[in-house]
Amino acid sequence: MSDEVREVPREAWLTAAQAAYGEGHRFFDVLTAVDLEQDGFELVLRVWDPERRHGLQLRTRCPREEPVLPSVTSVYAGAGWHERATAEMFGLAFDGHDTAHLLLPDRFEGHPLRKDFVLAARVAKPWPGVKEPGESDADLARPRRRPAPPGRPAGWGES
Amino acid sequence: MSEVPERTRGVIALRAESCTSCMLCVRECPDWCIELDSHKETVPPETERGRPRVVAVLDRFAIDYGLCMWCGICVEVCPFDALFWAPTHDHAVPDARQLVHERDVLGLWLADVPGLAEGNVHDGPGVGQDSDPL
Repeated sequence: MSDEVREVPREAWLTAAQAAYGEGHRFFDVLTAVDLEQDGFELVLRVWDPERRHGLQLRTRCPREEPVLPSVTSVYAGAGWHERATAEMFGLAFDGHDTAHLLLPDRFEGHPLRKDFVLAARVAKPWPGVKEPGESDADLARPRRRPAPPGRPAGWGES
Repeated sequence: MSEVPERTRGVIALRAESCTSCMLCVRECPDWCIELDSHKETVPPETERGRPRVVAVLDRFAIDYGLCMWCGICVEVCPFDALFWAPTHDHAVPDARQLVHERDVLGLWLADVPGLAEGNVHDGPGVGQDSDPL
C-alpha cells in the first residue's frame, strides 16, 4: 500500500511530527531532502506505524535563501543522523540540532546533493560517451566537435 | 544458484550481434560504467544498383559492475534489444578490477535471460513493445 502524504507548512513541521508519533507512527524510517532549484528545498520525513502497518510521509518546503527547518530529533531520536546528512549534503540547517558533518570531511566545501554542485569526477574522468559510433579511444586524437557529458558545465575540463 | 524471481536484476547480458555500437547506453549511463569501442567497415552493395554502406562494428563492450548501480537505464534505452536483465547473481570477486566484464562474459549470461530462447523477452514493466520475437 502506498504511503499517506501530508504537506505541512514549515512552522508546523515539529507539531506534525509529534502528531504522527502520537497516532502510532513510532518507527522512524528516513528523513531527506529534494533540491527543487528555484522552488527551494523539500524536506521529506517517512515514519511507520508497526501495528496498523501504515506508512506516513510528511513533506514541507523552505526557500533557497533561508534553508532552515525545525529539528524533529525531540520526537524521533533516530532522525539525528539523517538531519546531519541532509544538512551537509543540501546545505540546510536544523533549529535546535548541532548538525556537524556526518559523512563529509570537516573541511569539505559545498553541498554535493544540490543540483548546482559540480561533481569533480565528471570533469576529471574521461567520458566514455564522447566516442561516436565507429570510434575507439585511438580516434579521440582526431580533432572534431565533441559532445560534453551531462553535468559538466560549459568551459569545465577543456584544455 | 538459489531460487530468485525471474525478474531479479542480477546482471546485464549482452547480445553482441544485436548491438550497432550506437553509443546510446554509454551516454545514458549515469555512472559511466559502460565502455564501448567500435570501428567503421564498408559493406558492399547488396543489389546490383545498390550503394556500399558504412557500418560500425563492435570491438569492445564492457560493463564495470563496480560502478553499475543496477538502474537498468541502458537496458531500457537500447533500441536494438541488445541488453537484457538476467537473474544470475553471486558475482563477488576478490579484486574490484575483476568486476569489469567484457563482451564474452556478458554474452554467456544470455543463457540465463528468462524467455530469451523462446523469443519471449520483456525488458521490464512499461516497455512491452520491446517484447518482439528474435
